[in-house]
Amino acid sequence: MVLRLRLSRTPHPLGARRHNPRYNIVLAHARTARDSRPLEVLGTYNPIPTLPVGAEEGSRKQKEIQVDVARAKYWLGVGAQPSDTVWRLLSMVCISA
Amino acid sequence: MWRWLNGPGKVFRKALPGSTNYMNAYDKQGNLLRTRNAGREAGSRRNKPEEETLEEDEETAARRDLENPDLTDEEPRDEESDARGGIPKERRSDMRPYPLNDQFSSQAVLSEELREELYTQVAVYKHDISSVAASFSVDIRRVAAVVRLKTIEKQWVAEGKRLAKPYSEAVLAMLPTTPFRPNTANPVTPHEPINDIEVHAHTRPQIFWPASESRQFTREDAAKVFDSKLLPADKRIPLPMLVDLERWKLEGLDRQERTKKQIEADDKARREEDEKVRKRTEWQARTQRVVQGRRWDFKFQDISAEKVGKDGRGKDAVGYRYGMPHEDRKRGMLKIPTSVE
Repeated sequence: MVLRLRLSRTPHPLGARRHNPRYNIVLAHARTARDSRPLEVLGTYNPIPTLPVGAEEGSRKQKEIQVDVARAKYWLGVGAQPSDTVWRLLSMVCISA
Repeated sequence: MWRWLNGPGKVFRKALPGSTNYMNAYDKQGNLLRTRNAGREAGSRRNKPEEETLEEDEETAARRDLENPDLTDEEPRDEESDARGGIPKERRSDMRPYPLNDQFSSQAVLSEELREELYTQVAVYKHDISSVAASFSVDIRRVAAVVRLKTIEKQWVAEGKRLAKPYSEAVLAMLPTTPFRPNTANPVTPHEPINDIEVHAHTRPQIFWPASESRQFTREDAAKVFDSKLLPADKRIPLPMLVDLERWKLEGLDRQERTKKQIEADDKARREEDEKVRKRTEWQARTQRVVQGRRWDFKFQDISAEKVGKDGRGKDAVGYRYGMPHEDRKRGMLKIPTSVE
């Protein structure tokens, strides 16, 4: 089966799920359900732009992404296929190969 | 009512300069109690020293004069009473705003000059907050609060916002304040005890703890008895450097050596702090990257995904959690501690 690097939607840490999207960047078999338990969690993605802590009102907002770059590179190297969104994110951090 | 307002109540209309305006300070006829008593006390004090001087020799007298703050700081005392119009300082009994509540006496607040000085020491001269707290005898948290509020105040002044000055002046005129008098023999008046340890809630219960006589039972052990995570008293003290100073004094180090040690300790602390900041910035440069987007930025943080542990359930592992029940009530899951301290 094909391994994919993709996003998996998780409940917000404080509980509510609606209008509070939070994603894990995961490695999973392509044909498993989106939110099922993955083979490995590589990071998180918060798609809601927020003001950085301590920043002034009106400054640029940031989307926060945590990712294990080395591990992601490894999985790409052995043939895992990133989804479009994960491709877009990973291409921003030095994963050009 | 009108009789009272025009009679004994007249004194309350205008507060005495540099004094509180509490009812307890006056008798029913509207006379200030402490002026009456001060005359009596001064008279008795004048008689006393003559008797004493006969008995003690010069040396002890000189030492006593040095130690006695009343004698060494005569100048500011005179200025003080001049500022109040020759009226003696309030006694404890004059500090009670509520005549029927003997337990409540109003505490001094920081005067405007002292607040300004604290701000200057910390923000302008960049002195350590803890050493400023120690030298002005103001609680370390209070110093921090003063600096924060003063910063906001100055910002408002720069922005041209109006401050509620008349209000603060009126309140400060009525409350006892801790003064700061630069260019006098005794500029700093201690505001409050600064090195008291807070009574932690865990230390409240009375515990009978049998300990063998052959064993040392220190403050560290006592803290552990109260709670396994409670720090010992020596580590909860707000300004541990004052304890070090006293210890060096007891060891017999002279003033220069103590200052040298203090400076060394300060330098060490500063170096450690710098090192921490340097490491942090280095780590940020290594692991963080902000990529500019069209409408917002993407902030990437490189982490290690390998903290999941053997069973894949490590607490520090990355990612929002997957729904996995705690297994600690399952058959065969041992919760008995495996080591004894």
